[in-house]
Amino acid sequence: MATLLTRGSFFMLPARYALPAQLERALRYAPACALTAIVAQGVLTRDHRPFISFGNDQLWALLGAAIVFVKSRNMLLTIAIGMTVFTVLRLWA
Amino acid sequence: MNWHGPGMMVGMSRLPAPIARHARGLLPPIDHVAYREGVKAMTPLAVAIAVWGVVTGVAIVNAGLPIGAALLMTFTVFAGSAQLAVMPLLATGVPLPIVWVTALLVNLRFVIFAAASRRSFMHLPWRQRLLASYLNGDLGFALFSRRFADSALDEAAQQGNPEQWGYFYGVAVVNWAVWQAGSVAGFLIGGLMPTDWGFELAAYIALLALLIPMVQRMPAIAGVVGTATVAVLTVGWPMRLGLLLAVLVGVTIALLGEAWRDGRVSQS
Repeated sequence: MATLLTRGSFFMLPARYALPAQLERALRYAPACALTAIVAQGVLTRDHRPFISFGNDQLWALLGAAIVFVKSRNMLLTIAIGMTVFTVLRLWA
Repeated sequence: MNWHGPGMMVGMSRLPAPIARHARGLLPPIDHVAYREGVKAMTPLAVAIAVWGVVTGVAIVNAGLPIGAALLMTFTVFAGSAQLAVMPLLATGVPLPIVWVTALLVNLRFVIFAAASRRSFMHLPWRQRLLASYLNGDLGFALFSRRFADSALDEAAQQGNPEQWGYFYGVAVVNWAVWQAGSVAGFLIGGLMPTDWGFELAAYIALLALLIPMVQRMPAIAGVVGTATVAVLTVGWPMRLGLLLAVLVGVTIALLGEAWRDGRVSQS
């Protein structure tokens, strides 16, 4: 539903409707913010509490993955290295 | 001939001849040379799409979604990032309206895609537009707009033509088939993997990789930092409502940052 509603939005609307410029600017930032909110709640919290500490293995793995992605732009390599960092930390601690 | 219901802007009588002939089917007229060109353009990307489908599939099944529901989701939703994003929410029993709004927010970029490429599809019958809407993914949009960027000023291209539709469907069919094959393979592999390996982290890493190219400039970076802060602080809120507040705060910060930057540029 949400897919069709957004992808179909301006395909389905009659020609006279256009996107207001201000709204278009806001829409540009919404996806990035939504993804950020999900990743932040997934990785930086535990049991419904903020969890930002040296003991957060997922945080280190995510930081490592971010560096790899910025350097390489390679999604697979990024996931592989991120998961490796996480697994090593998890088994080590 | 009034099959398309009332209220349509485009009446049959005003349709150009080649469209009128195809008006009853689900597909617009397609130029086969352009179709093959679209398939060819998409083929190098197919490996990446398939692997991405497998990762999404594994992550979804590992989050505890039954395979039947996962299959239903991938064929109806057909949006990798939205599927990945709502997966942790579904797994923790967040109310469906919140899940739905989240998927909507992640998918909002398609509103921009649709607004940008609508000219080529606007004059087609509504069933053909609906199918095209469903198939219009990120990579497809990127390829399509690059391929037809020069013809934006061309009068004939403004109305859409079989060459554009052919290319669009060539790209879209490869994208759809490869993605679904990858996802289904992922569901099957994911069911065999132990859940305590923390594979859901792979989904967060994948989302991060989607995210990074979106935040290359200052307003977006500021917005994303604001969002993350609010999201973490409000994680204890009921029904994950903090998620929505975080997005609102982030978008507002980004817009303010944009206005501030533009103000500085015009002063100097």
